[in-house]
Formats: sequence, structure tokens, C-alpha cells
Amino acid sequence: MKKIMTVCPYCGCGCGLYLHVENGRITGTSPSRAHPVNRGSLCVKGWNAHEFATHPDRLKYPLIRKGKSLKRATWDEALNLVAARLGEIRTKHGPDSIGILSSAKCTNEENYLMMKFARAVLGTNNIDHCARLCHSSTVGGLAAAFGSGAMTNSISEITDASLLFVIGSNTTEQHPMIGMHMLEAVDRGATLIVADPRRTQIAEFAHIHLRHRSGTDVALLMGIMNVIVSEGLVDADFVRRRTENFDPFEEELKRYSPATVEGITGVKANDIRRVARIYAMEKRSMLFYAMGITQHITGVDNVRACANLVMLSGHIGLPMSGINPLRGQNNVQGACDMGALPNVYSGYQKVTDARARRKFERAWRKKLPVNPGLTIMEMMDAARVGSLKAMYIMGENPLMSDPDLHHVRESVERLEFLVVQDIFPNETSGLADVILPAASFAEKEGTFTNTERRVQLLGRAVGAVGESMPDDGIICALAEKMGYSMSYRGPYEVMEEIALLTPSYGGILHHRLSDGFGLQWPCPDSSHPGTPYLHRKKFAKGLGTFITVEFQPPDEPPDEAYPFLLTTGRLSFHYHTGTMCRRTAVLEREEPECLVEINPADAERLGIRKRTRVRVSSRRGSIEPRALVTGRTPEGTVFIPFHFMEAAANILTNPATDPGAKIPEYKVCAVKIEKIGT
Amino acid sequence: MKNEWILEKNHLSYWLRQLRKERDLIGPLRDEGKDIVFRSVEQIHEVILDSPASLPSPKEFLIPQYDPMLRLKVAGHELAFPSRPQPVSPDVHMKESFGKKRVLDLMDKKKRVIFGVRSCDISAIRLLDRFYLKGYRDPYYEQRRKNTLFISVVCNNPDPTCFCIGLGTGPYLEEGFDIQLTDLGNRYFVQAASAEGIKTVRGMSFLFSRPRKTDLDDQYEVFLSAKARFHKRISLESPRRMILAGRLKDDFWQKVAARCFECGGCVYDCPLCTCFTVTDRRYPDGVERIRLWDTCLFKGFTRMAGGILPNEKRVLRTMRWYYHKLIHYPETLNKFGCVGCGRCAITCPGKIDMATIATEIKGLALNGEEE
Repeated sequence: MKKIMTVCPYCGCGCGLYLHVENGRITGTSPSRAHPVNRGSLCVKGWNAHEFATHPDRLKYPLIRKGKSLKRATWDEALNLVAARLGEIRTKHGPDSIGILSSAKCTNEENYLMMKFARAVLGTNNIDHCARLCHSSTVGGLAAAFGSGAMTNSISEITDASLLFVIGSNTTEQHPMIGMHMLEAVDRGATLIVADPRRTQIAEFAHIHLRHRSGTDVALLMGIMNVIVSEGLVDADFVRRRTENFDPFEEELKRYSPATVEGITGVKANDIRRVARIYAMEKRSMLFYAMGITQHITGVDNVRACANLVMLSGHIGLPMSGINPLRGQNNVQGACDMGALPNVYSGYQKVTDARARRKFERAWRKKLPVNPGLTIMEMMDAARVGSLKAMYIMGENPLMSDPDLHHVRESVERLEFLVVQDIFPNETSGLADVILPAASFAEKEGTFTNTERRVQLLGRAVGAVGESMPDDGIICALAEKMGYSMSYRGPYEVMEEIALLTPSYGGILHHRLSDGFGLQWPCPDSSHPGTPYLHRKKFAKGLGTFITVEFQPPDEPPDEAYPFLLTTGRLSFHYHTGTMCRRTAVLEREEPECLVEINPADAERLGIRKRTRVRVSSRRGSIEPRALVTGRTPEGTVFIPFHFMEAAANILTNPATDPGAKIPEYKVCAVKIEKIGT
Repeated sequence: MKNEWILEKNHLSYWLRQLRKERDLIGPLRDEGKDIVFRSVEQIHEVILDSPASLPSPKEFLIPQYDPMLRLKVAGHELAFPSRPQPVSPDVHMKESFGKKRVLDLMDKKKRVIFGVRSCDISAIRLLDRFYLKGYRDPYYEQRRKNTLFISVVCNNPDPTCFCIGLGTGPYLEEGFDIQLTDLGNRYFVQAASAEGIKTVRGMSFLFSRPRKTDLDDQYEVFLSAKARFHKRISLESPRRMILAGRLKDDFWQKVAARCFECGGCVYDCPLCTCFTVTDRRYPDGVERIRLWDTCLFKGFTRMAGGILPNEKRVLRTMRWYYHKLIHYPETLNKFGCVGCGRCAITCPGKIDMATIATEIKGLALNGEEE
């Protein structure tokens, strides 16, 4: 039996695990004891990560649409067709008629190649990936405030913190190994403050749990900051030396007295005062947030408010002091770092910056497009109106993950040509003209960057299933077919190119990653040991900027016709659109169906009991899950996980987006509930 | 004549090399300077002789995480299965063809020798034997058990989490092992207990010499020093009595359960836990039935027809895990369902492992807080 060290393919924690291989077959998983993130533990998904890779549903050979069905094809046929059709569409309608979705499930090297493919081969900046749907608000919000949009601390610092402020993160279920560190910190005497409308498991351990109304985060945070200022708890020295733009911000704060905020958020003014005092006065304070902050039409403002809070109290730039967005996907940090975004190259170098563009043009020997491209939601809109003709989707399932699915389906159906590259057939591949089978995490080399910016090496446990190929190989082969040479001996050579062109990855080379557990960027040169915490002595962009924000209600608050507020999220046993976890026996057995969480008081009023079938409808569609009656979800709110295609929560969700980040408001929309079963 | 020998350390590599000719040699190896894991040994000199507890336990070689049990192949045409594979039910033991369907037997016939196992794990395997081989004999387990030779090492390097010493399951064993080694500095004191163990040593008797009186004294000294190295001394008897006397309030278990992440790690890593699930995978040319590790800590483990979950509350499931190990095991097998290997303490993200909880219960007993 062989055991190969690799990185978990599920969430952004980036746990170290071993894949067990017997007779050339993956037979198990076990945790790494020495790994700084998981320290011998794993969550249930990690423990079962071995199973999906060997599932018989894996795509094993390329498929080409012939009429209504998809027929087996050779790689040559499939790639020739893709190259010809993309080339044709590019000639006829221009490069911007093609859109690319890269993947936060794929490696850094693959994301880099995909963005190179979009920009150098196709000549478009229309490249985006699911970070748009989870943390685009962070990338934008924190970059403007600090100059860098990532977790500022390391996971291993958590246990030494003395205060943890967790807002909009169901940490123990969605980032279990970070939850583990938090619990240990609490055991060691740290104070835990949780702000979440739902009573999540981590909230059970909170010393103070603020259950504000969904979508009122800006008001809540402004209220807390109002108290910090009015009670003189500001770290004046820090604000003076390290930040700018404080005065207009302070002016705006005055409008958010605790009493006003209580009216908006439903959180008692006294609790707001308590939290403000504790947060400001404690040293070693870490703030954590996740989708509860970002997935709103005010996502960027929510993030800015968090950034303002940490600057106001000087809780940043030190170990155990900082602001920590918890990234959802195993490599969503990396996919952003690699520039699989419409406006930046790798390392967040702007496409509009002529110097940066010139650098990439010289390296890639190709004239590059100037204007930023389309985001996911904009691509869907463009497809709907017919200006986007083709899409190439790698490792994403927008027909389950994007809001307002009926609309998304219509848009995708209007495309002239759709290529899907994935490991399993999914809702999106059902509409594809060509399906390219990819290798799973267990079958390839490369790196993932976890939520604490740790770039880690994957270990290849077995060969690719069937005729499938690693994504990087497919991209390179396709580029060759389209007349652009992409030739690398392996992912390590791609990483060398990344290091050359990306300042923050300058010293990140494969051979350096194999001793120890990777390197945390920024790592500018090959002797740099990596950076465990950011913004030491000065912010990435020099001075931190207070950006004034204003509270705005959600786009679609509940009303008479649709009286419930729907918020969506994940379950601990499942992951996103379920392509992997729903093919894992134990995970699927645990949560085989969609349940809508409803408060007992609401349930009683509607005559709904446990497991009653209900119809949940929004202005965009309806689904029919069974009910789970629980006090975890507050009155007037229902919660639906978005994993289940049988009752896809995203049929209901509102596609309204944040004006800056274009992130949709998954966390709030209005629904009505009807009982249809007994 | 006692089955005791002396093996010069110089001869160990040679011995293992010979054993490897007939079996897959598995031992604790350091992975690129990071973890120590049990895997197939390529370079014999890299085997770690005083390894810390491995994750998961060596039960993975007897009941693997992913265990194909049988495969149905259909000659010529596909079997019609509903879109969601339903369990098919041919007899496990059936090997001959029936009709056009052929049941292929996927018994694992590989011979293995696992080197460097700890005493606690050997104690656990003896209990697994009673579970899997008494009454209904599990053919998959039996086959692997028969083909696996364990060479255990007297443990003189316990982890801080270890507590076998209070349970009589380590750090050394008097009986029940295949081959047990005691490190005497430049040589090993070798004991063989099982028939296979004795045969293995005798088959290469030229490597071994008879122990002298001083070797026995040295071995005894190692036993004493091994015992002295433990940080934890935990008795499971007092928690058992507290539970049986009904002296733990629900509130206690509520607090424990609140910390459970439902990762399953304690069960997966436990050398004694045996929960599994069976699932069928549909292939174009048939179906494969596999057995996978599962855990009773999940509510779906006991789901009944109609979707009823008898153990829906997490506290019931968490409690059950302790009850099984502290109450049911002693009742049925006359031993605690815990060998003190400490793996749950390493792996539990909520820190509600056996040692911690047993200590807490004992603390309550001493303080008389619970009535």
C-alpha cells in the first residue's frame, strides 16, 4: 500500500491528507498529523475524499453532440472541433463573443494557463470563475482598503488569539478545521463573538451571539464603530500613522447610533455597545467573515465596513490581529491570484495598467486586449441578448450555482457553442456541444493555494481515469490546435513562468514547496520564507483607507406577497453543486434530500410539521422540498442549502448584484411558503 | 522450550528483506520529514522503530476503508437497474455462475506483514477477531486476518495522548501477539506467540539465538521504563460506574455533543470501531458492491424506511459511542471497547475524545458535583 501526501479537494482550509493506493486503486484517506491546518483531524468530507475519484460516473473520454445525444469521440476530433468552432466564432463576431469560466477546483497552474488561453490565444478578457459568486466583494473591498484581498493571518495563529469576532460564517460546518482552531482558542480563554442570523454550531459557543436581520451587516458594523468612536476606544495612534480618510468616515458614523441600529438590525443597543467595547479593548483580536458578508448587493460595503472596523481599533498587521475572509473552495484564493478574473492578470496586475499589460505581452509574445472583460453574471446576460456566442467552462456548474437558474438555463441554451471540461457529467454539461474529460485532484500535479495564502503541492496518487487528461494538458493541447504554442514539461515549468510574472509568487517554485507544508504568499524571491501575516508595519498599498459606507436594505426584502426571507448556504456533509459529495456513499446517505429550515413558530402558523412537503416560491420560480422545523433559523426566515438539483435553491435566488463586485445576493430574497404535503 | 530469541539489530534488515519476499512488507515510514505513516516499505533502513501512533490504526489492513466485495458481470447484455442503484442480493459466498450473470469474488488474497505495530493495536485486533470471527464469520476479514502477520514492538515511546497502561492493553503484551520485539539497545528480544509467528521465526532460525538470563533482566528493565513513560493514567472503570449508576445528567452529554463536529474521525481512527456501510456502484458491464467505513455518529446510519431517524439528536449518537465502549463492550466481551491508543484525542477537532471525557467524568465523581 502506498500513501501519497496531497491537499484536500473540498474547502479552502487546505488540509493535508494522504491518499492510500493499493494495486493502483485509491482505497482510502487519512489526515496528516504534522500539517499546520488540520493537525491530524479531517472533516467528514475530507475523510471520504477518496471515493468520488473512482466513481464509475467519471467522464472517461471526450464527447461530441450529435443531435440530441452526446457521442464518444477521440481527443483529436474533440479538440479540432473546439478549435475550429472557437476560431470561427472569434473571426465572425470578435474575440469578446467568447466567454471563459475557469475553476477554483483546478490548480494554480491550470488557472494561469486558462487565463493565458483567454487572453493570448482567444484575445479576450472575458474570463471569470466562481470567486465572483463568493468572494469578489473581498477581492475588491479589501484591495481598495489595504491593497490586498486575502486572509491577513494564518490559521495556526487562531489558537493564540484572545478575541474572535465571527460574522457571517458557519465556521464549524463550512471550514471545520478552522472551527477546530477557534474552539481551541475559546477553550484557552478567548472571547468569541458571533454575528449570524442563524444559530449555527459555532454560535453555541459564542459569549455573545448577535442575531441581526439578514442583509443589515453594514448597519450593525457601523453601529459598533459608532460606539467605538463615541466612547473614545479608537486606536488613535494607529489611525493617525497608518490610515487615511478618517474624517469623512467619522462624519458618516454619527448617523448610526446604537438606538438607530437596533431599529434596523434587531440587535439590542446594549449588545452593540458590549461588542464594541470588548472588540476595541481586547488585544489579539481576529475578525473572520465568509459568505454572510459577501453575498449581498452591499457585499463590497460589508467588506469595507469590516476593514474599517479593524483599522479603527488597530487590530491588523500583527500576529493574531487581522481580518480574515474564509475562502470557500480549495483553490479559490489561487484562482484569483492567477488572474482568472476579467480585470487582472496574475498577482492582481490590472489589465488596464499599460505597464503590466506590456510585461505580459512581451512574455507571451501576443498583443493583449485592453478593456476588462465580462463577469459571470454579465456573461449570462450577454448570452441572453446574443452578444456572447460561445463559452468554455472548466470545472464549474453554473446551471446549479448561479442565481435565478431558469434565467441562466435560457442564457446558456442561446449559446452557439458550449464546451464543458469536467470530471463528472453535471447540469451544465447536459447542454454542452463538446465535453472534455478532466483528471481529478488525485490524478494530477500542481498547486492549490488555501485560504491563508499557503501554496501547497498536490501529490499524484494514480493515473488519470480512462482517456481523461489533467486540465492543464487539455488547455495546452487546445492552444496548440489554435496555433499558439503552449509547451511545458510539467506544472513546475508553468509555476516558473508564474513566478517570473507575478511579484507575490516570485519565490514560489515547486521544489521549494516539497519541504514543509508549502509557502504563504507574498513570497517575492526564492530565498523568501513566505509571509504568515500581512500588513506588518505598513499596508500593502501604503496607508490603509477608510472608505465611507452607507447602509442599504437588500434588493428584495420580504413583502406581503412573499413574506419570508430566504437565505441560502451549505450543509456540512455536502459541497456546492454536489457533483463530488453526492457520489460519496456516506455523505449522500446522511443528507439525501433538500430540506428547508423553518422556525417552529412559522411552521406552526402554516401547519407545517417535520418533513412536510412544502412549495417555496419566489418571483423567479418554485421548488418543493420537505421541511425541517428548527429554531436555528430565526422567525420570518427560511434557509435552503443549494446542493440539491431536485430542489435547487438557486431557482429562487435573486440575481441582483453588487454594483462593484457583481456578486449576486444569494443571502436574501423574498419567498412564500405553501404546505402541499401532510 | 520457550518461544523466545535474541535478534541482533544488524540482522533486522536481512530478516525483513526475507519476509518481504513472500509478503507485502508494511511499516512506519517518515514521509518527507513530516508524518509517520504505515505503508509499503521500499527502503528497509527507513523503517522507524519507535514511531508515534499512526493515523489511522492498522485495522485499515484488515478492514480497509474502501473494500470491494463482489462484482456482478453480465455477459452480452446489461443488467437492468433502476437509475439509482438498488441493493442486489446474491449470496456473498456464491462463486459459480448462474445464468448469464456471474458473481465475481473479490477476496483480497494478498499476504502482508505489518512491522512496528504497537501493543495497543494488537490488543484491539484480538477484540476485532471476536467481533468478526465469533458467530458469523466475516469472510473478508477472515481472509485478510489469516494472511497478515503482525510484528509488534514493546512501546517505549508513548505519545502524550496514550493511556494503554491503565487498561492492560500495552505497552507490552504477555500473549496474543504474533511476534513481539523488545528493543534492548543493540539487539531485540523476540517473542512469538501465534503458530504463524513461531513458524516465521523458526523458518529463519539461523538469524536468532537463545536469550541469556541477562537478556531477560534487560527486557524486564525495558518493561519498567516503558511503563514509567506515560503521561496519562486513566481508568475507564470509574466512568463506567458513574454511567451505570445513572449519575451523569443529560446536561453533561449535551455539552459533549455540542462539541461534536460529526467528522467521524474518532470512529475512522479507532482500532476497535467496526461501523461500515455497503453500497453498490453501477458500471456499464455490471455492478460492484463495496463496503466503506461508516460511523454510528451520523444520524443516517440508523435511518429507517420512511426516513425516520431514531437517533436524530446528536446527543444520543455521541452518548452511544461512549456507552458502546464503556458499557456494552464490558457486558458482551468482558473488556472495555477502548485500548488507550489515544488516536481519538489526536483526531477529534472538538476535543471530546475518550481520555478527555473519561477524565472529566472522573473529576465529577471526585468532586461529587453530580448527585
